Amino acid sequence: MSAWFVEIFQVVFVVALAPGLVGLIRWIKARLQSRLGAPPGQPYRELGKLFHKEAVVSKNASWIFRFAPYAVSASTLAIAFLVPVLVVPRRLDMVGDLFVVVYLLLLGTFWLALAGLDPGSAFGGMGSSREVTVAALAEPTTATAIFSLALGAGSTNLGAIVAAALNDPWTVLTPGHLLAFAALFIVAIAETGRLPVDNPSTHLELTMIHEAMILEYSGRYLALLEWAAWLKLFVFLSLLANLFFPWGIATTLTPGALSWAIVTLLVKLALLAVVIAVMETRVAKLRLFRVPELLTASFVLALLAITSSFLLR
Amino acid sequence: MSSLFSQLAVLGSSLTLIFALMLLWHRSVDAYTTAFAWQSVVLAGIVAVVAYFERDPELYFVAAMLLLLKGWLIPRLLRRMEGPFGAEQELQPYVNTATSLLISGLLVLFAYAVCRPLVALSHLPTRAGMPLALGLIFVSLFVIASRKKALTQVIGFLMLENGIALLAVLGTYGIPLVVEIGVFLDLLLGFMVMQLFVYRIHETFESLDVEQLGRLKH
Repeated sequence: MSAWFVEIFQVVFVVALAPGLVGLIRWIKARLQSRLGAPPGQPYRELGKLFHKEAVVSKNASWIFRFAPYAVSASTLAIAFLVPVLVVPRRLDMVGDLFVVVYLLLLGTFWLALAGLDPGSAFGGMGSSREVTVAALAEPTTATAIFSLALGAGSTNLGAIVAAALNDPWTVLTPGHLLAFAALFIVAIAETGRLPVDNPSTHLELTMIHEAMILEYSGRYLALLEWAAWLKLFVFLSLLANLFFPWGIATTLTPGALSWAIVTLLVKLALLAVVIAVMETRVAKLRLFRVPELLTASFVLALLAITSSFLLR
Repeated sequence: MSSLFSQLAVLGSSLTLIFALMLLWHRSVDAYTTAFAWQSVVLAGIVAVVAYFERDPELYFVAAMLLLLKGWLIPRLLRRMEGPFGAEQELQPYVNTATSLLISGLLVLFAYAVCRPLVALSHLPTRAGMPLALGLIFVSLFVIASRKKALTQVIGFLMLENGIALLAVLGTYGIPLVVEIGVFLDLLLGFMVMQLFVYRIHETFESLDVEQLGRLKH
């Protein structure tokens, strides 16, 4: 019974903290650029405001436009159930492994791209075509990078991979792990639409990707899509944190272990938030035609990771 | 203990390889110089690690020389050359960036395939890094063959030299000190000669594009 309670708690925890993480990244970024910046709680207020506003839908939009926000947030929520965040091993490990996670990610992207095309605006179609390009190049890398870790653990189950890394802390230093970390980090940035692939802080720019697709949305639909995007970032970052630096994750269900797991997870996420904020302050957005080169680089890193973990087993 | 040794050796080797891949991804000479300097620092670190675990004081000396020459002096000279030629970017290499990255990935796979009997024969704790060192050599050769600007090719050559040094240190725990000093002297001299060439090429063609050298035939 308490095991299921922990599963539910974990998802509520992830969903509740996702806007806070984005707020934190924005706040650190503002400070680094010597602006005052909105407080980290700002995304919660944005969500609250959007949920109270009326949703305006174009006359030309079909049911896809209305359905897509629910499909996107549901698929992201399903990923939140499958990713080890606080505890390993979990009951839900049996439900899905890394391939399920990768395809759920792709499912969300698919619906979002459809929703961008549906109202027939020029911006939406452009955003969808770019998003699909990036996703097609990024998904294989995600699978390959995590698979190179799976080779070391002997299982494609995310919980089992984390547990194996916990048992043998030195594996974290192997080249397979490091290359896979670099590859997955680049992919996480591309998938969640951060700099240098997409600029998350613009609303009207010819080069935007994610914002172009959701430009037509308003009210609760927009709130759901924004929340899903932030949830995706949170899930990716906690995946990075737990797959590569598993220390602190709880292996038993005692309150002490759980609270320690929460504290270490928050510290790891805060560190990753600082890394992302510093990077976004330092780099400029890449030209769109250089993005495939970046993703090729990450694919090569993942390929080398899988080679070295296969041959050095 | 020895597992930590081999982990560190492989870790260092993969880092040097990543710095070589940066050559294919970036376009400015400044980034190339930084990548080369960091690669040399990592190489010096590997030599120092081998010296520590094998209790070989001579290798500490080699590591210090590496740090001084390749980590500091040559990057400094390279940066000085960037002054007049800094604007020369690698805009149109013979092979485009995405393809070069994929080819270098395949080259590293090839290095793994070639090295398999060698790794199987060896009993050194550092053997797992040898395919990566060979991969670094292949990738540097590919950089020299596929890039057009003289400065990029010079840095590719320097990385090739790093790869050979890495292979020597991982495969045999370094070569005798006298030979090592000779190699360093050779390297410095070779670099100076190349520097001279770069200046002359720029003087003659107003560009560092080695394709222009074909015009000399007419």
